[in-house]
Amino acid sequence: MLTFDIKHQDRYSRGELLLRSFFGWLYIQIPHLFLLFFVGLWGAILRFISFFIVLFTGRYPESFFEFQVQLIRWQTRLNARIFNLADDYPPFGLDAKDEYIAVDVKYPERISRGLVLLRAFFGIIYVLIPHAFVLFFRLIWCQILVIIAWWIVLFTGEFPKSWHEFIVGTLRWQTRVNLYMWYMTDEYPPFTGKPLAQ
Amino acid sequence: MTENQYQPIPQPEELEIREREDAMGAYLMMFAALGAGLPLPILNLVAAIIYYYINKGKSLFVRFHSLQSLLSQLPTSILNAVAVFWGARIIFLDYAFSDVFKGYLWLVGIANLIYIVFSIIGAVKARKGEMYYFLFFGRVSYQSVFKKKELDDHAVVNQPPKM
Repeated sequence: MLTFDIKHQDRYSRGELLLRSFFGWLYIQIPHLFLLFFVGLWGAILRFISFFIVLFTGRYPESFFEFQVQLIRWQTRLNARIFNLADDYPPFGLDAKDEYIAVDVKYPERISRGLVLLRAFFGIIYVLIPHAFVLFFRLIWCQILVIIAWWIVLFTGEFPKSWHEFIVGTLRWQTRVNLYMWYMTDEYPPFTGKPLAQ
Repeated sequence: MTENQYQPIPQPEELEIREREDAMGAYLMMFAALGAGLPLPILNLVAAIIYYYINKGKSLFVRFHSLQSLLSQLPTSILNAVAVFWGARIIFLDYAFSDVFKGYLWLVGIANLIYIVFSIIGAVKARKGEMYYFLFFGRVSYQSVFKKKELDDHAVVNQPPKM
């Protein structure tokens, strides 16, 4: 259902790493987060409305679904740079293409109405609490890895592949939880960051 | 209103499910403020405007329903905004909670109820691929969306500057 990958590069630019680390907040994060705030607000509105649509029709509106996927893609492009997982400037916009990022979600023809209600009322208990508990520790470990990897990239120009996979896996896991809680899939998110067999 | 002045109205069987869903979504913009978590009545109107501009190029059917939804929101949005402004004055500036205000609140409540009922009917009809015309706003929207635009056949001729 979810294709989520951030390409591991053979070589990472040290110049870009330093530039991103010291001025990234200015030329990457502020402009992107400013726009993402408004686009994200629109996404929240559409998600809320989708709840009622799915509840009454059993289908997630296709254009709303595409918008949410594009929003996830944009957020992933930004996160990849914040975590130093990819070089180059993240492209702006919902339709933008990024050679390092591959995010796609299969559109489900039907969504279970019963599950929608279950998620709305008990989602916190059976989805958010258990997943957030694990993700909390994974994210702390990710921060530690990002800091150590910063030095490794600075001296060797390479990002350790297994660390890269772990951080991408954590972002993938988060995205799966979001998709489930946003009623975009009926598949309960697995307790793993690894890609699943399609 | 002559028939040939207007574009043909799409029939339910000609419409794709995606178009119907987009048309239905227009009416559900009344919940936008709830979705954004902001108690500002004007936000619904802003959302309807954004929705209209995003969807107006998609098809005449989607455009019609988006415009009808947007226009029909105007009266209730104005009534709600006045109620919030008036209420804020009572709460924060110690104005009297007068009978006039109570009467106004009843009016706003009834107007919102009517608006919600008609919007839900509009959403259901749009999902079925049907045209549904609200009183006054339906006709205005139909004329705005389906009326054939007169082509400007005056070709532009570039001229040298005046000496």
